[in-house]
Amino acid sequence: MKSFQPKIVYFLCTWCGTGGCETAASYRMSYPENVLISRVNCTGSLSAVHILRPLIEGADGVVISGCHPGDCHFETGNYRARRRIAVVKSLLETLGLGPERVWFRYVAHGEGRRFVDTAAEFNDHIKKLGPNPLKMRRNT
Amino acid sequence: MKGAQIPAPKGIADGILSFLKKGLQEGIFDALLLPVKVPAGDSFSYVLMRETDLMDQASPLPPVMPVQGAKALSNLTRYGNGAEKIAVPMRPCEIRAAVELHKLEQVNLENVFLIGLDCPGVLPLKEYLKNPKKGDALYRKALQEWALESPRWVCEICDPVSPEAADLHIGIMGAPRGKLFLIPNTPKGKKLLKRLDLKAESSLASRQTEIKKLAQKRTKNKERALRALRQEVRGPERLLEIFANCINCHNCMRVCPVCYCRQCYFDSEALKMTPDNYLMRAQRKGGLRLMPDTLLFQLGRMSHMSLSCVSCGMCEDACPMDIPVSRIFTLVARDAQIVFGYLAGRSLQEPLPQVIYREEELKEVETPYQETYRPS
Amino acid sequence: MDTAFTLNEGVEEGLKKILSSLLEKGKIQAAMVLDHTEGGGAAYSLITDPQMMAQTRPLLPLMPANAALALSRLTLKEPLSGPVAAVVRPCELRAFVELVKRGQGSLDHFIFISPVCGGVYPLQETLVKGGIEKKLPEYREAMRQGEIAVDIREACRTCEHFVPTGADMIVAAMGQDDPETHGTVFMQTDRAAELIQDLGEVMIAEKQTEGPLETDLIRKHQGLRRDQKKKLAQEMQLDQSGLDGLIEIFGRCIGCHGCRAVCPICYCELCVFESRDFEPKPVDFERDLSRKGRLRVPPDTLLYHLGRLNHMALSCVGCGSCTDVCPVDIPVSSIFIQVGESLQELFDYLPGRDPEEEVPFTKYETEEFAEFED
Repeated sequence: MKSFQPKIVYFLCTWCGTGGCETAASYRMSYPENVLISRVNCTGSLSAVHILRPLIEGADGVVISGCHPGDCHFETGNYRARRRIAVVKSLLETLGLGPERVWFRYVAHGEGRRFVDTAAEFNDHIKKLGPNPLKMRRNT
Repeated sequence: MKGAQIPAPKGIADGILSFLKKGLQEGIFDALLLPVKVPAGDSFSYVLMRETDLMDQASPLPPVMPVQGAKALSNLTRYGNGAEKIAVPMRPCEIRAAVELHKLEQVNLENVFLIGLDCPGVLPLKEYLKNPKKGDALYRKALQEWALESPRWVCEICDPVSPEAADLHIGIMGAPRGKLFLIPNTPKGKKLLKRLDLKAESSLASRQTEIKKLAQKRTKNKERALRALRQEVRGPERLLEIFANCINCHNCMRVCPVCYCRQCYFDSEALKMTPDNYLMRAQRKGGLRLMPDTLLFQLGRMSHMSLSCVSCGMCEDACPMDIPVSRIFTLVARDAQIVFGYLAGRSLQEPLPQVIYREEELKEVETPYQETYRPS
Repeated sequence: MDTAFTLNEGVEEGLKKILSSLLEKGKIQAAMVLDHTEGGGAAYSLITDPQMMAQTRPLLPLMPANAALALSRLTLKEPLSGPVAAVVRPCELRAFVELVKRGQGSLDHFIFISPVCGGVYPLQETLVKGGIEKKLPEYREAMRQGEIAVDIREACRTCEHFVPTGADMIVAAMGQDDPETHGTVFMQTDRAAELIQDLGEVMIAEKQTEGPLETDLIRKHQGLRRDQKKKLAQEMQLDQSGLDGLIEIFGRCIGCHGCRAVCPICYCELCVFESRDFEPKPVDFERDLSRKGRLRVPPDTLLYHLGRLNHMALSCVGCGSCTDVCPVDIPVSSIFIQVGESLQELFDYLPGRDPEEEVPFTKYETEEFAEFED
């Protein structure tokens, strides 16, 4: 019996997020292959639709990683992101659409371990939660 | 806190109109923006007027709200203020929307006198249109008794206190018989009273008691209504049932005062895909609803505007499919605003949550990391 | 030369089985049909799973949104890469052809299946308890008798173009024996005939008839529709309206532009009436106020409607979606259809009749319309 392989979208900012990913690569660390990386210029460039659309169109979970507060390449992008993600998570919570399927965690340029751990941890977390009930609805 | 009194011997509407007329005739205002009955007598529309000749058709508190006052104000002042000083009497939800629009730079209040009004609620637009004469009669009675039997859902839970942004507030509740309170809130309002030769000397104690009572009732209504609603909309199953009839007309978005984008993201090129994209999505699920992205529009609009949602109910009035849009948006908006300790429309000084940030905040949004994690 | 197949079942069930089989055999990639929704209504769905055809309602007399919008959205960027069947009403197909003429879609690889149309119910009918289901028995009986079903959209009961043009297959939901027990489907193109081959006797009876599509019943129905149209014109006396009449009709308008949003022909991504051109500045307001003393806000209500008429009435297919969506119950389609038809007559033009027929605005003769010169 095939076990559930979650479809996960992992947004990484070009600076620290991708940096963390590359640091992991340079140490030959690996992360689950069902986690799909999507690089954005800055977590601050993410809008609500970036999180909502995957959850409606086939993702089981969405993770977002960017620079730690104070380290954003564009100074305030990650602060904006935090507020925006707070709104989306609040919305998902209110409507029972699974806010636990959205994670936000800072990953610095050199934090390779932190990056792979996040990908693996989230993967396990989603496996436990099961497939996203929203993604199979035709009527969206 | 004290207020002035103005006479209203022939009733509330007449008292308000007389006051506005006086202001216009004495040159204190250059123009008024008021709801006026349309020629066919079956609805109301906002009219900007320099003269008083239309005032016998005007109604400061019409039975319905076909157009949101703040949206009309935004239409007039989006590109800045004119030379004219405009007096705009509006209901609390319209003032709240004007406050939010001011912060969003879609309304310029410099040459505007915002005049708040107490509001007993408003009839659902579709109900009123079935029999406008009956609606008019019902509302006349409602104004006299200050009680409206079946207003819209959002009216039953509306905070009756008009925002401090209103320069002057016309206090109907708690006023002595045949009179109305005129309460100055801002320096502009105080100056206005002075020009009108009115002194804020009357005690507002009786009014404050009445307001407090009503506010308590409305708050209780709100808590009860939201608690029940929360259960009704939870989960994809229930939510999709509620939005099953949505035809993607986007009326709700276009009548919303807060949705001011000239071209909405959800109408734009961004969501127009190749046929293979739609087929692929259809193949994954076995079928794809067309027009696509209906739920995305609803959830996306919530994410974009819920921090400024003032629960004015225009969305639900405009929906041709009777979807309880204003209820769901109120629920989501309230939860989102609470996250930031923000209340839309409360104060002109309170910055929009999306415009500011603090370096340390919202720890609960972040998922904490323990280096001890080992994949299973 | 009308080639037709008689099905073993009623039109709707038969159609569903045909589409399901075509999907199973991979002869089409997808089928766009009306699908039931949880709310008791329906919405178009692009079905790829043959198992899901069973619960669809392809011939439900409801138009939640003109299908041309969906057809255009599907093929706006590129034509389809493989065959897709679409069950759409005659006016929806005509509207799509009008959009294709304007570069807003492509007809390639579509297989259009269109019923002889008995009209659709106003959207608000789904909101009444029991909804459309309650109306179906009387609707079907009307179809059998060639009568006009009570309570359908005004746009529908006055529509003379209920026999589809341009479709690959025509479902004879009216005019042939009993559409409820033995549906007849007419093949209008070779592609359609090709598809229907070897679909098995399971759904197609031995009988291959030879039409005709336009029977006496259809002609009777045409007459009834024409009468309704005449009656409406007499009631409305639109040419007597004048400005006062128009102000009465459109006075309630709140400027929501819902009519534009649901109109299949109105495809402009940013309508001129929503653009900066129509966002007045304070100096504009002051000027208008000086001239008139009073000004409706938002302004330009009548101008919007007259302008939209001018822009799209030549292609108006009379679907009636505009009336259904209006939050203040303005009978938009009643005006737009009449004006549209008189304009179309002027140019001897029928929107959607022929994809090769150019929109009158896009061409001219050096000598014409002398009667409009002063």
